[in-house]
Amino acid sequence: MSALLSVASLTKSFGGLRAVRTVSFDVTAESITALIGPNGAGKTTVFNLVSGFLRPDGGRVHFAGANVTGRAPREMAKLGLVRTFQRVQLFADMTVLDNVLTGAHLHTRGGLPAALFRPPATRAERARVETAARRLLERVGLGARASDPAGTLAFGQQRLLEIARALAARPRLLLLDEPAAGLNPAETQRLGALIESVRNEGLSVLFIEHDMNLVMTIAGRVVVLDFGEKIAEGAPDDIQRHPRVLEAYLGVEEPA
Amino acid sequence: MNDYILTVLVLAGIYAIIAVGLNIFTGYTGQISFGHNAFAAIGGYTSAILTTDRGWPPLAALFAGALLAVVAATLVGYPTLRLRGHYLAMATLALGLISYVLSVQLEGLTRGFTGISGIPPLGIGALVMTTPRAYFVLVWLLVAAAAGSAWLIVHSRLGLSLRAIRGGEDAARALGIDVTRYKVQALAISAAYASVAGSIFGHFVSYISPEAFGLYMVVLLFTMLFVGGIGTTLGPVVGALVIGSLPEVLSGFKDYRELIYAAVLIVILLFAPRGVLGLVARRPAARPGT
Amino acid sequence: MIAYGWSTLAQFAISGLAVGCIYGLVGIGFVVIFNASGIVNFAQGSFVMLGGMTAYALYTLGGLPLWLAALLSPMVVAALGFVLEATVIRPLWRRQAPLLVLILATLELQVMLENGTMHGLGTDPHTFPAFGGSEPVRWGGVSVARQTFWIVGGSLALVAALALFYRRTLTGQAMRACAVNREVAALLAIPVERMLAGSFALSAALGAAAGVLITPTQYTAFHVALPFGISGFVAAVIGGFGNATGAFVGGLILGVLESLAVVFIASGYKDVVTFVVLLAILFFKPTGLFGSLVEE
Repeated sequence: MSALLSVASLTKSFGGLRAVRTVSFDVTAESITALIGPNGAGKTTVFNLVSGFLRPDGGRVHFAGANVTGRAPREMAKLGLVRTFQRVQLFADMTVLDNVLTGAHLHTRGGLPAALFRPPATRAERARVETAARRLLERVGLGARASDPAGTLAFGQQRLLEIARALAARPRLLLLDEPAAGLNPAETQRLGALIESVRNEGLSVLFIEHDMNLVMTIAGRVVVLDFGEKIAEGAPDDIQRHPRVLEAYLGVEEPA
Repeated sequence: MNDYILTVLVLAGIYAIIAVGLNIFTGYTGQISFGHNAFAAIGGYTSAILTTDRGWPPLAALFAGALLAVVAATLVGYPTLRLRGHYLAMATLALGLISYVLSVQLEGLTRGFTGISGIPPLGIGALVMTTPRAYFVLVWLLVAAAAGSAWLIVHSRLGLSLRAIRGGEDAARALGIDVTRYKVQALAISAAYASVAGSIFGHFVSYISPEAFGLYMVVLLFTMLFVGGIGTTLGPVVGALVIGSLPEVLSGFKDYRELIYAAVLIVILLFAPRGVLGLVARRPAARPGT
Repeated sequence: MIAYGWSTLAQFAISGLAVGCIYGLVGIGFVVIFNASGIVNFAQGSFVMLGGMTAYALYTLGGLPLWLAALLSPMVVAALGFVLEATVIRPLWRRQAPLLVLILATLELQVMLENGTMHGLGTDPHTFPAFGGSEPVRWGGVSVARQTFWIVGGSLALVAALALFYRRTLTGQAMRACAVNREVAALLAIPVERMLAGSFALSAALGAAAGVLITPTQYTAFHVALPFGISGFVAAVIGGFGNATGAFVGGLILGVLESLAVVFIASGYKDVVTFVVLLAILFFKPTGLFGSLVEE
């Protein structure tokens, strides 16, 4: 099965700092892949490179069969790659529902004339989109908070909202940057179930995570970065025992 | 209501139209513009020049002015809207200065410091508006139209995109929103509002000069926005009414008006940086060192 | 079109350099405050205007000798900058006011200072005599006003002094630390608020010095604040808004460009030229020539 996302020899330096060095890995369709590594390993940089927020110095990114290296985030979203951010970037002053509605931007139409004259097609589309948005909110458990300002949600709920908003964009690949950060165990479990249900619908998920429990539970494949390099890639169980991975995290040299 | 009060209310209404437009750009899209006086000037001068020298019908001149303002906003917007925050503010301030300079320098067109007088009153064909009462009705109908259209815009897909830009540009981009294009669009829309107001101003007062569209207008506009509440549809209108009526109260201090308005705004900013009557702005990022 | 000889062009270039020094100083003022606090001070131009005005007031109205008036003026304006920062900027900063509010506040300050000056000293333009006499220096067909030497020399001296300040004094180094990373600076117990106050005073002094230097060659009046402020800002933008050197060079470039443009277009369009330069830089090289202005 050809990969949905293929990253080849991706390289990025900031001044003298080599943040990402010739990183290559694949993400297949309908899968859950985890990107892990100690702090500063370059994981978020990889996300930025793949999603178009940074231009790589070298290497290529292929998505859905096309070479998308260096394309802008907007275009990546159009192709079906949507990401969330390490520090939750909700539209805090907008309602929970409006946040999800913005996610549907690419699948709706209409500008100034539609706004002023509200033709039937626009109104029908709005109704359709709103129904879909509410359904998404129910799915993540935020149905009751639809009319509240997004900024009033508890932190864990904010993360879920960000995911719901991303799902409204109907991505083929969802990039989640530390989705479990700051969540308690119960919330983390709900998050894991959500990600799995997303995968079961046919999407792929690539997520950065520090919560090893979550990674081991739901990830089908794990990619490990350290100091900007990929040091291991494989099934979660294999990664758990991988000597270089242990060394990176614990600084211990595992006897051969 | 006597003519004086009607005049004050007409002027307040003219400002309200600009303020509503500015609010779309500032309050809802979260951008900063200190140059909207330029767009009002474009409207005012276009209407004045076309209706006096070239005998255009006022309504046609008004549309021409609005079109010109939209074009100007688009041309200037694309390079400058890549800036954020204060850079954008300064660039728009420069825009305002430029419009002043041009209105002084292009003497052949604008009569420079002398200004253009004898601007015919607004009207369609034989129906001509000559009394403050007529302008009062027209202007406040337009204010209603402005506020109504602003509401429609804000509560539409376009409005969602604009508010998303204010909410978080990166997140907006990640969802496929063409941030720059929408910012320019918001600027162009607000420029159109300002231009229409500027045109009406010229017809009402029948005389315009470079001084009419100076930096003072910017200060006034923001005072109105802050008093009325940025980011609400009616806020700018309320603010325009309140601040616009101040001349009544301050009639003894006419010379010091600009100074007083600026001082009032500083006091408002100091004690209610989120605006007196409404919600304002995003949550400020925590500032280190405080 | 009149054919201009080389000497005339050289003359324009030199006067452009002189004005460019002034723009550079104003631009440095912007960068200093921005680096210490992230605020762009829209009142920067008023310091220039006040510098010239204060010197005029001290000399003409106060009867002080010219050299004393010229030296005291930046100090007075610096004190004013200090006061304004403490009464208006700091409270907003402490309350974590949104960016728009801070910018607006500095713009209000500009308006108030402009208006206050207009009420205090009238609308007439003022000036005072050039330093070192008004006899220009002639050299190979080019005539250079003595004040130009003061302008260029004075500006370079100030820039050098600033560099020394940043490198050799504790306060200067602390300010540079703030510029690099304010969060870390705060963690290192650098009093960021005091850096803010200091940067305002410093910028005010620089702006005022620029005003003092330039006034003998042009007049000063209450409304010159805005054009100077914008020009200084564009100078900083050309330099990338990162450091003082960039801003100064940016000022020189802007000054020469403006001067040469005036050769071909009417001098009243000076500000339009500035704006076009701003747009051009933003369009073609938004990061500025030396720095990182815009993160795309």
